[in-house]
Amino acid sequence: MLKGHLDMIVLAALSAGPAHGYAVIEEIRRKSGQAFDLPEGTIYPALHRLEQAGLLASRWVTAESGRRRRVYALTRRGDRALAERRVVWRQFSDAIGGLLAGTPPSRKPA
Amino acid sequence: MISDYLESLAGALSFDRALSRCVRQEVEDHLWEAVAADPSDDRLEAQRRAIANFGDPHVIAAQFAVISLAKQTRRVGGAIILVVAGVFIAMKARVAWYAATQWAISDDMRAASAIVGLIDSYSFWLSVIIGIGGWAYISGRPIPAAFYPAYRRQLHRSFLLCAAATGALVVSVISDGVLTALRLLGTELCAGFLIPIFSMAIEIACASVLVFQIRSITQRATSTAALLKT
Repeated sequence: MLKGHLDMIVLAALSAGPAHGYAVIEEIRRKSGQAFDLPEGTIYPALHRLEQAGLLASRWVTAESGRRRRVYALTRRGDRALAERRVVWRQFSDAIGGLLAGTPPSRKPA
Repeated sequence: MISDYLESLAGALSFDRALSRCVRQEVEDHLWEAVAADPSDDRLEAQRRAIANFGDPHVIAAQFAVISLAKQTRRVGGAIILVVAGVFIAMKARVAWYAATQWAISDDMRAASAIVGLIDSYSFWLSVIIGIGGWAYISGRPIPAAFYPAYRRQLHRSFLLCAAATGALVVSVISDGVLTALRLLGTELCAGFLIPIFSMAIEIACASVLVFQIRSITQRATSTAALLKT
């Protein structure tokens, strides 16, 4: 289930600002209250794919350690895509919440 | 330990050197940062844990390979449009040169020239139609998160469209070469020969670029299939 929402999770983790892969994983863990403990390696193909789709942009910097580091940031398209996914997710979440609680959802799902 | 892991990951992606180098640097930074953040005093144990948390290098390489294959297919889809335009310009420039210098084809070559000209024209416009169709098909589809069977079929169709457009263009360039040779054979050697020969060289270079790119797709597809099997 988590895999199906990986793009949204990565975009949301980068909404706070540019970050490199390790920081993105840490941010996902922190923001999810350690609930999402993804295999770390799966984040990098997702970052590359999102960049290919124009939702992220990246640049190489030199870290304090002297190692080359790739930093990712949301593009305007990525910002818009995240906003759209947030709306869809809230509608879905309301619908499921209503279904499980036995009450009708407050909004119509997409 | 980390360098062995990086070698394995980069080696699995060796069919795309730029990606292999980039992934290696990125993952190296990640793993050493994970080691630095590990509370354990045992550095070897910290390295082992960082690698275990990162995952199987072949599984990760397979995910990157799918992206690389999709990227290459898109690149070829766009390249076909540019290459067809390049061939068209070279062809028109040569025809304009013939008209400007009133360089007519000899009578005994006229019949053969008409047949080859027909093949040239049909194959060129076929490559234009398939090329535009292929580009529209490829560029309108996003790269999915996993290598689903539907995406596999989509990539297969994209490849067939690229290969068909390239094949038609190669036939057109060969026909152009034959037409140019027929025209040159009937005349005496002069400096004016350089213009049609130069324009033909441009056409051959353009077609070769496409053939090379198509070959690269097949290499990546083979490597991706091998990685997905492991």
